[in-house]
Amino acid sequence: MKVEMSHFLLERRSTIKKLITQLSESFKYVSVLGSDTHGKRYSVQRKGVAINDSMWNERGFVIKVYNGIGYSEYSFNEIDDSNVEKIAENIKKRVNNQIKTLSSKVQITKYPIIKEEKIEDNFLGEVKILPQHSSDKNIIEKLTKVKDKALAISELIFEASVSMQQVQVSKIFISNDKDLYQSYVWSEGYIVTMGRKGDNTKVNYSSFSGLKGAELLDEMEDKVQETVDMTIKLLGAKSVEPGEYEVVCSPDVSGIIAHEAFGHGVEMDMFVKNRAKAAQYIDKPVASTLVNMHDGATSASHVSSYLFDDEGVVGGDTKIIENGILKRGISDTLSALRLGIKATGNGKRFSFERKAYTRMTNTFFAPGNDKVEDMIASIKKGYLLECPSSGMEDPKNWGIQCMISYGKEIIDGKLTENIVSPVVLTGYVPDLLKSISMVSGDVELGGSGACGKGYKEWVKVSSGGPYIKAKVRMG
Amino acid sequence: MINKIKDILENSEVEGYKIIETKTESEELFLVKKDVDMARSKDVHHFKVTVYKTFEEDGVKFKGSSSFDIHPTMNEAEINKLIDDGIFAAGFVKNEYYDIAKAEDKKIENVKSKFSKGELSEWMPKLMEALYENDNEEKGGINSAEIFLDKNYKRIIVSNGTDLSYESYSGMIEFITTWKESEEIELYKMLTFSDYDPQFISNSVEQMIFLAKERANAKDTVPSGKYKVILTGEPVKEVLSYYVDKSNAAYVYNKLSTHQLGDSIQGKEVKGDSINLILDPILENSVCSAPIDDDGVVLSKVSVIEDGKLKSYHGDLRHSYYLKTEATGDIKNFVIAAGSKSIDDMKKEPYLELITFSDFQIDSITGDFGGEIRLGWYFDGETTTKITGGSLNANIANIHNNFYLSKEVQHGEGFSGPKAIEMFDLTIAGKA
Repeated sequence: MKVEMSHFLLERRSTIKKLITQLSESFKYVSVLGSDTHGKRYSVQRKGVAINDSMWNERGFVIKVYNGIGYSEYSFNEIDDSNVEKIAENIKKRVNNQIKTLSSKVQITKYPIIKEEKIEDNFLGEVKILPQHSSDKNIIEKLTKVKDKALAISELIFEASVSMQQVQVSKIFISNDKDLYQSYVWSEGYIVTMGRKGDNTKVNYSSFSGLKGAELLDEMEDKVQETVDMTIKLLGAKSVEPGEYEVVCSPDVSGIIAHEAFGHGVEMDMFVKNRAKAAQYIDKPVASTLVNMHDGATSASHVSSYLFDDEGVVGGDTKIIENGILKRGISDTLSALRLGIKATGNGKRFSFERKAYTRMTNTFFAPGNDKVEDMIASIKKGYLLECPSSGMEDPKNWGIQCMISYGKEIIDGKLTENIVSPVVLTGYVPDLLKSISMVSGDVELGGSGACGKGYKEWVKVSSGGPYIKAKVRMG
Repeated sequence: MINKIKDILENSEVEGYKIIETKTESEELFLVKKDVDMARSKDVHHFKVTVYKTFEEDGVKFKGSSSFDIHPTMNEAEINKLIDDGIFAAGFVKNEYYDIAKAEDKKIENVKSKFSKGELSEWMPKLMEALYENDNEEKGGINSAEIFLDKNYKRIIVSNGTDLSYESYSGMIEFITTWKESEEIELYKMLTFSDYDPQFISNSVEQMIFLAKERANAKDTVPSGKYKVILTGEPVKEVLSYYVDKSNAAYVYNKLSTHQLGDSIQGKEVKGDSINLILDPILENSVCSAPIDDDGVVLSKVSVIEDGKLKSYHGDLRHSYYLKTEATGDIKNFVIAAGSKSIDDMKKEPYLELITFSDFQIDSITGDFGGEIRLGWYFDGETTTKITGGSLNANIANIHNNFYLSKEVQHGEGFSGPKAIEMFDLTIAGKA
């Protein structure tokens, strides 16, 4: 079913156009992004239930103006037809005072004026069950069933937390040349199971996500047994003997490598700051010839697929690595202006209250031709790595840190019953990417959780890939 | 607007409610080197409403709740619908019954800050000045920075009669320092503050430039193996936050913590220093300082762990009710008492001192902690070598019956406590 656009934003379009007209008398470029995002998060656990609004909820506007030297922004969430003039005056006063105060004390970077092509367009996503057609009762009942099933499997499981959230994102972007709107729905779910034997406690999870509504719940029940079984196995896991190993990475681990190891490194606002080593490697080999990597709102259909980014730039499909050669990065509007390139539609904000940065969308390694069983069979001593828990970027020095929940031991080409947990995967990005020697045929993407820039500015992204065979340092 | 929301709630079928109103005024600067790349500001107003519903099923009493946002641009019909939906949803939230205590007759004060004197925009050049005061080196310095200064207003109205409000300020500076020897390297730092303390900012920059220089001169890591590790700086706070989580009422109620009152939280035979933990709602220059929590509970200082023994749980109204303990409220600042050893004493024997990681984390449920090492120093008994690379991977349950906290203290976001922890036999994944 087609998602319905926010009535609030459609109704406020004329008000925003009035504001833009008034401000255009003082500023050579004016644009407004309006957001009305609404979602609910449902969770059940052994002793508790919660229904709350999603952390992604927002309703407000951010205005960007050319201040004569560069760009200034103002975020606000109270506007109607009666106070447009007052808001316009307030914005003029704040921007002019800010620039006056600063320019007498510091250097302000000069930018050219943003040139936009005329465009009017819209995008409305589709899901099987619209949020307004799903009931709180039904969702809680389904989550409770999953939770009860998990807790019933073994007495070693002392907690099962099952949650899902569905979020409808609606945005408008209006400038003197652009008039865009879009609305789509994404959902995510988690099964988190915790096991305890004596003082030993272990946690495992399965996640679910996509451009879906409450139909996502139907996928969750099938994963309960597997999630619990692994939690119990983790209670017998050992620490990994530190060292370098041949490994097969599952699609979610491939995804975190694509995202952390390379994706952050080609965010071109980092090029502007001279914080990205990748800037020196354009058209140079950075990975094995088997490696192809994409990012873009249209590169896949997942949680970060949209018509336009938070600066009104239409999204696309950027081929970052082609046959092991780094070809190009991704960019927001201002970074593209500084670098003299075309913006790729990757300007994203945590919310209307925050600045736009270059951010990833759907980032993944493209498929190859190998079979997973052949990849495992080719390893004498190594691990099958699954279930990443977090990662951290290092665009300047190309270090990599990924926290992986567990590795399944491979000896003489076969999986054993032994598990190591947790695993810290570290190394030098090109070494890791150049070590990729086999790539499987099917790509899987996941978009649960959120991606930060440093330790803030959370945005929704997906990442993934096929199974890859590589050589990594584990500790 | 808040009166409109309150009137609608009072005239609805809701049994109990809570409204959290926040207003934020903000100034933001984004800097590349020492130039302003962009300036931003904002004025936003938010309302979060929680509705409560008590109900019975099969003779068991439950208290459900549901929380939702009300935007200032919403009309009366939209607000009415949200409230009706919220009450309906609360009926499916089968949480064990708990009481919301009557309002306390206490007065609260704003969180003290020099930022209250003058406009936010006037403070921004002063913060910039402090940031760049010690950025005077040739081979390195600040690559880029972001400065945020917020003026916050928070009001909490609860149907039990609570109506309290306060103002606070929160500042944040994120900056990257670089240093170039044969290759340029960088380090990341996020500073938060609630008061104007230029020395705190300039000293942090000086230290981060020094650490960047050290990392640029670090060539290799140590061989894989077991080491005596001295953890210093920010990772110390992360490790010690384990004790805050393990004594939290929600953790205990949900069995994420198995500790009971009177338990020795570090195990039975503690050879090293014992933990002493205090929660303090108002710590100087902390963005976590607040006179009340989001339930409107008036906060005061509380001692949680004394000499390694769990003296009291801490937490919100709901989970404290379940554990039949007085609700301390949700206090965000924690203080760990200094230990028995000076850092100099810790360094008399061979050690591996670790200060910066890519992303140092502890999992409070499992006790696992670690990360990739960005900078450390290895002392083999004769010489000290700068090291970078490799990783630490350990579990606190295996080491905390024999660790030492430094006499020297540090202050970080929501934290005051030892500057260093000395830990034994930790596994480092280094070179082969």
